[in-house]
Amino acid sequence: MRRLGLGVLMAGVFGLIVAQTAPQIQAWFSPVRTVAADQLSTSARPGVWARISGQSERERRIKELEAEVRDLARWKAASISMAERMESYEAMLNALGEPPARGVTARVAAESDGPFSETLLSNAGRAQGIEAGSIAVNEGGLVGRVVQLGERSSRILLVTDFNSRVPVLGESSGLRAILYGARDGMGSLTDLPEEGEFILGERILTSGEGGEFPRGTVVGTVVYQGDTARVVLGMKSGQGGFVRLIPPAAIPKPEVIPPTPPQVVAEADAVAERTER
Amino acid sequence: MSQFRVGAKPPSLWSRTGPTLRLVVGAVLIAAIGLLGLTEKTLFGVTVPWPHAALWGAVGWGMVGLSLRPMLALTLLGFAQDIAFVAPLGCFVLVNLSIYGLSAAVSDAIDPETDPFLSWLAPIALTAAGFLGLWIIASSVADHAVQAWPLLLAYFSTVGLYFFVGGIFRLGRAPGEPAGQGV
Repeated sequence: MRRLGLGVLMAGVFGLIVAQTAPQIQAWFSPVRTVAADQLSTSARPGVWARISGQSERERRIKELEAEVRDLARWKAASISMAERMESYEAMLNALGEPPARGVTARVAAESDGPFSETLLSNAGRAQGIEAGSIAVNEGGLVGRVVQLGERSSRILLVTDFNSRVPVLGESSGLRAILYGARDGMGSLTDLPEEGEFILGERILTSGEGGEFPRGTVVGTVVYQGDTARVVLGMKSGQGGFVRLIPPAAIPKPEVIPPTPPQVVAEADAVAERTER
Repeated sequence: MSQFRVGAKPPSLWSRTGPTLRLVVGAVLIAAIGLLGLTEKTLFGVTVPWPHAALWGAVGWGMVGLSLRPMLALTLLGFAQDIAFVAPLGCFVLVNLSIYGLSAAVSDAIDPETDPFLSWLAPIALTAAGFLGLWIIASSVADHAVQAWPLLLAYFSTVGLYFFVGGIFRLGRAPGEPAGQGV
């Protein structure tokens, strides 16, 4: 009899647990539970159930993310305001910035027997509007530069190659250097300034010097190995198999104006003398 | 005339109490420990794993066999745990009653008085079964494998303390008395 009683009780409780998976039935218990929890003052801290099921951890993470979103919203408002101010200043100064980026998105494949150790082949070439010296970027930042151009394909020398040289600057420190690739997949810096140091964690951007790369393209971030500043390349974070090939930002040299013939100069001088008389 | 022999050690007050009073004392102790555990306890910045005292009752009360009043007490205490722990109603009740039934079955199968090893082993195994059941129910309700370490810590504190307070949950069955007659 007692065994039967225990069995019935357990079956009833099991049925109650199963029934609560239905939202309609759970709604009956929620008000009672809320009142009871308030009386026990347990609502102020996460319950053991919430802790073991990870619910409290998720709620904590949601709160963190909400705080981050609020913070980012403030930054967004500030950046929009600053961008508007910069636009107005540029308009006042009649400043010419970087030309609008054009480009072609192409699929890339690794190359094992190329002339360089770190190159990629892309399936876009002259026929797709790619120009020699175009730069390749992915979602992480600068990937490399087109060093060989074919009709339907092109070879990209990666910034991780030892032969690659990219003029860069620190976004916060403003220091300039030349970045080249190293065997460990990171970027090394050379031609460093005698004074000043790169700031740990600051972004490294292309400086645009030399005209091969546009100014301001993200290359990576600074880390320190001992006393040596190295660059964790941004391209490593985005390896989706596609790159955007952007025409080179080289500033065209001014056209050579042919010298004026001597007799024309003499005639012009004579005309000027007559006019003065 | 005194009912005790002259020179013999008089029986303690606890040994003279009946099963009903022992059940009440045990239930009050479980409720008190549960209430104390509602607020987080830390020691040197580390959260103290709080014992699931109802399992003491389930293990200890079950050792004298099945009875109605411990079942009701464990049901009520289980619902209180469900509310305090913000768990679906019935989870702790089911675990408490399961362990109570298991404990009664174990006491039917072995006599803890004659097999001291099993009398030590039984609470350890029964409490482990209780926490395992809790983990299974929590995982089923949450639809994913829930964290085991908080339960593991609570298990160690529950088992460790049971060997100190377990006597309170013995309802006073005399050796040789049939199971189920204690209450």
